[in-house]
Amino acid sequence: MSSLVGFLSLVFAIGINFYLLLSRYIFKFQKQKFNLFIRLSSLLTLLSFFSLMYAYVVSDFSNYNVFQNSHSNKPLIYKISGTWGNHEGSMLLWLSILSIFSFFFSFTKNIDESFQRLTLIIQSLLHILFGLFIVFTSNPFLVNSILVNEGLGLNPILQDPGLAVHPPILYGGYVGYSIVFSIAIAGLFQNTDDEWLYVAKKWSLISWTFLTGGIALGSYWAYYELGWGGWWFWDPVENISLMPWIAGIALVHSLMMVRGEQAIKKWIVFLSILCFSLSVFGTFLVRSGILTSVHSFAADASRGIFILLIFFIVTGFGFLVFLLKEPKKSNALNLLFINKVSALVINNILMIIATLTILLGTIYPIIIEVLYNKRISVGGPYFNSTVIPIMIPGFLLMSVAPILSWQTNKINNSKKYVLAFIILSVLVLIQSYFLDFNTWGFVGLLLGFWIILASIIAIFSSYIIKFNIKFFKIINPHVAHIGVGIAIIGITCSSVFQNELDFNLNEGDKFNVNGKTVLFEKIETTNEINFQSLRGKFLFDIEKNQSKEIEAGKNYYPVSKMITSEAGILHQWNKDIYFILGDQKNNEWFVKVLINPFVSFIWLGVIIMVYSGLMAVSRR
Amino acid sequence: MKLSHFFKIVNITIISFTIFTFKVCAVESIDERVKNLTLELRCMTCQNQSIYDSDAEFSNDIKKIVKQKFEEGESDRDIKKFLVERYGEYILFRPLINYNNIFLWSFPFILLVFSLFFVIIKTKRNKA
Repeated sequence: MSSLVGFLSLVFAIGINFYLLLSRYIFKFQKQKFNLFIRLSSLLTLLSFFSLMYAYVVSDFSNYNVFQNSHSNKPLIYKISGTWGNHEGSMLLWLSILSIFSFFFSFTKNIDESFQRLTLIIQSLLHILFGLFIVFTSNPFLVNSILVNEGLGLNPILQDPGLAVHPPILYGGYVGYSIVFSIAIAGLFQNTDDEWLYVAKKWSLISWTFLTGGIALGSYWAYYELGWGGWWFWDPVENISLMPWIAGIALVHSLMMVRGEQAIKKWIVFLSILCFSLSVFGTFLVRSGILTSVHSFAADASRGIFILLIFFIVTGFGFLVFLLKEPKKSNALNLLFINKVSALVINNILMIIATLTILLGTIYPIIIEVLYNKRISVGGPYFNSTVIPIMIPGFLLMSVAPILSWQTNKINNSKKYVLAFIILSVLVLIQSYFLDFNTWGFVGLLLGFWIILASIIAIFSSYIIKFNIKFFKIINPHVAHIGVGIAIIGITCSSVFQNELDFNLNEGDKFNVNGKTVLFEKIETTNEINFQSLRGKFLFDIEKNQSKEIEAGKNYYPVSKMITSEAGILHQWNKDIYFILGDQKNNEWFVKVLINPFVSFIWLGVIIMVYSGLMAVSRR
Repeated sequence: MKLSHFFKIVNITIISFTIFTFKVCAVESIDERVKNLTLELRCMTCQNQSIYDSDAEFSNDIKKIVKQKFEEGESDRDIKKFLVERYGEYILFRPLINYNNIFLWSFPFILLVFSLFFVIIKTKRNKA
């Protein structure tokens, strides 16, 4: 029943969007009526999504999709998140978020009426494309042809609170770019005033913030769930999310330039189209089964071709309009060595080079396989030695960029910065001798501290310190950059100065980690609702009264016959102690302990970035 | 003081530090060499995991082989060549710099050089 409701409302929503698309040429609507239809289609799409969710919650196995991906003895949260833990459901989630964005956009005030309508019509077009894709190749409402009482279960690796919220947040970013895309195209068609740039700025900040949060959740999940001790692996799927993120940084920063006198409209439109194209292209790569990962689910060639088609339609349409309806030539850029405009241009160039490099690295193995029928890998070492050096000048520049002048190449208090930089370099050099000296560690720490220090100097020497909301809005760019600096320190320390200790232990053994005694208490096996767990219990720092208990082990999921590793992590502000329980050999357990310094700084940096993203949205 | 001076100073400090650095880290123990090399090798039986990070049987075997070969005095290049002959280029996370991959490796730097020219030309034109 719920499946029928879901399918019908999905189809009706697509129908309404067809109607709206035609309305531009055939029927003349009042603004009110038009918006009403947009909202109606959004609500219908949501109804469709929630009826699928309902089918999951009540374990309605007459729905083929539920049968394939759910199981009645899962905890409720994973029944809900199971809705988007499969290809069909996640595409429906994608469409729902698209219509949520249209829904909210229809409420935008102080905006040219015909411009708003045009934007929403382009949204309708996207809705139709993805809607038809769902109906014809990935229908989540198919009826199960056999009668069953039990489903096949959700991939256990996805049964995790982090992964329950990761896809909706990430999609908020991917799909959020759709509205930026529509705004840019509508802006090209209307080509009257620059009001749309402000609207685009707001929405691109929202999408970028969502994307930041989504990527961070994903990598945090990888950190504690994969049990490899790292949090970023340059996996193709990670690269795919990184591309629109970096292009989004370029977009957000070039929209800043609108506040100065030179609007570089053409470039902004290009970036808007690029961001959404990269999102769709990423979806294509993941869902076509060309890349293998936890995200690819079941591969089906027809889906890949359909998404590729959508990608060509969207990108082709976007760039065609871009070429035909080129914005009026704006005045030349006021580039000097070095003012705010040139700093922002350099930022844009570096971000685009980084994006294209990641794109090339990700698809290069596919190209080589097609051309030479040979398999190669392009992994972390390639990206580390191309993308990171390209970004370094940008990192150097971002420390002072927000206080650069639009007009001249003078910078206030420049002596202070030079002095600070020299002192800082010496300090970092000295401390790096106490640790093992490492080039990347040195460069990373120097950059991170430099960004933070320069931003703080800039805040204190350029503005009057007050503690009200207005002040925090003014210093927001600096705050965002401090967040990046903190994240860089965290990334550098946790990857360069990671320390690994291996032990072979019996129950009751004591061993030494970082000067603290750890007791390997016991091994425990328990039966949970939907899995069996094997846990090694460790007591950390037993000499103190408040010793901490850490559990590391594995889960076995009988429904899908899979084993997942569950790392035990002791979080401290300056380091994570990461326990991995290995296999038992000759009555001894293999235990790997990783000391990851300053991992918490990465998440702190991300939180600051998300905060300042939200702050920037509320600006104006 | 103009910013250009400031950036000159920044450049000089960075360059001198880098030269300094390369001198410092000259000697590595065999274990470190094994770590550095196996970090760049793909575990063929896992999903996108390096041999160093993986505890799969395959990875443990390769780690042993690599260590043994280092002890016999073979270089990184020899070992990589040996592994490529056995398992194909797929095992290398860092693609070889050869005819097929020349575009892959040169692309970012070509872009960088082009955009550098672009910025310099634009800046000059503004000054004039």
